[in-house]
Amino acid sequence: MDKFNVGKHISGRFNEELGSVRNQVLTMGGLVEKQLSDALTAIQNNDTELADRVLDNDGKINAMEMQIDAACGQIIAKRQPTASDLRLVLAVIKTISDLERIGDEAERLAHVAKASFDKNQEDLLVSLENLGQQVLSMLRNVLDAFARMDEEAAYSVHQMDANADRQYEALTRQLMTYMMEDPRSIPKIMDVMWSARSLERIGDRCQNISEYIIYFVRGKDVRHISPEMMENTVRGR
Amino acid sequence: MITVNTENKLDKIDVNALSEEQIALSIRDLDLYYGETQALDGITMDIPKGRVTAFIGPSGCGKSTLLRCINRMNDLVETCRVDGEILLHGDNIYDRSVDVAALRRKVGMVFQRPNPFPKSIYENVVYGLRLMGVNDRRTLDEVVERSLKGAALWNEVKDRLKESAFSLSGGQQQRLVIARAIAIEPEVLLLDEPTSALDPLSTLTIEELITELKSQFTVVIVTHNMQQAARVSDQTAFLYMGKLIEYTDTNSLFTTPSMKQTEDYITGRYG
Repeated sequence: MDKFNVGKHISGRFNEELGSVRNQVLTMGGLVEKQLSDALTAIQNNDTELADRVLDNDGKINAMEMQIDAACGQIIAKRQPTASDLRLVLAVIKTISDLERIGDEAERLAHVAKASFDKNQEDLLVSLENLGQQVLSMLRNVLDAFARMDEEAAYSVHQMDANADRQYEALTRQLMTYMMEDPRSIPKIMDVMWSARSLERIGDRCQNISEYIIYFVRGKDVRHISPEMMENTVRGR
Repeated sequence: MITVNTENKLDKIDVNALSEEQIALSIRDLDLYYGETQALDGITMDIPKGRVTAFIGPSGCGKSTLLRCINRMNDLVETCRVDGEILLHGDNIYDRSVDVAALRRKVGMVFQRPNPFPKSIYENVVYGLRLMGVNDRRTLDEVVERSLKGAALWNEVKDRLKESAFSLSGGQQQRLVIARAIAIEPEVLLLDEPTSALDPLSTLTIEELITELKSQFTVVIVTHNMQQAARVSDQTAFLYMGKLIEYTDTNSLFTTPSMKQTEDYITGRYG
């Protein structure tokens, strides 16, 4: 079932406006996903050219955020949306703000990708790659969940974050050991540390987006509540 | 978890579980027929005191009919038959012993089009009191000032109380009619589409007034303008084809309605 249900308004124009906002969010999501995946590849392959492309593309994401915000503002002003329409507009406004911040984190990763690492340090990047892939799949899944407004899928993404957090902590411990062993490498390790932090933050933002999806579908704010209450809300109990 | 109180100063109440002292009116199993046609079907709801209750729904859903039941305006329709009861202070207003004129003093009504009488502004306000035999000049003067202030009209008309009510604008006339209704200090004020004939600014003035009025009266409003119901009411009842579909606090109804029919109506979808 299409839970988005933007159609069926008596006003066909309203259907179009909501549909268009939805498509723009998906486009923006696709762009952000590409940025993140490119940034990770750039780090892995030490590909400065690709990193530069990521840096160039961030402007597009910012522009899309502003464009979608403006469209939502117009819908509020002209349509006075209520109920699920209102929740959709609110969810969109919040989602794109998190997407934009994910874009910023990808930009930060691209900066790291431009720094060169010597042979000894490259194995640091392998651990980073694992966390990166985990977070990238969270982003992919949450965008899928948004496209279908699937609260179950959103909930699974929400659950995945605990794993990402664990990986982040393990990575931090590993990096601290390296620092103690070889203090001269600290500047480079700090770069990796910041990248890991960026990835961990992206996981949190995916979690936020999954909360907006659940809010849209269930009409309940699931931020800052216990895991049991959240599960009950998702399952409609 | 810290909860931030964003509600207005009224406490949040559950309209479907009101205590006796919170209730202004109780509607119980109300059926209404116009000849063979059933216009209301088993309406049961409690209307809380000192709050604004809105009835919304598509044309012909029975919302105006229900409003008119509350002061027995439907008695004027010959083919109309009512089953069930409406309790005001525990007494059924459809009881045979009820004096309808006395009921309408307790339950005042304002209609869609302003209907001032062809008299001065002053005489319009005191009309009800004169009918009740009050003629003391000082009392009447006081009531005029208090009612016009209550209807947010005093400052605009205080220097021309002797002028014809028809010299006022539509929005002013509607406020005059409200002043006339509150002059006799009813308990309940019924508003049937009170702003549908007014321009947007007069509408906002009346809406502001409705919010003021609830400190003294129980207000029930029927409106086609959903945003108006959302703005002025504390609780909203959605009616569809003579049935009460959903009745809950206005904030919930407009953000997370629980019935699909309500959702379709307030989001402007065809069901």
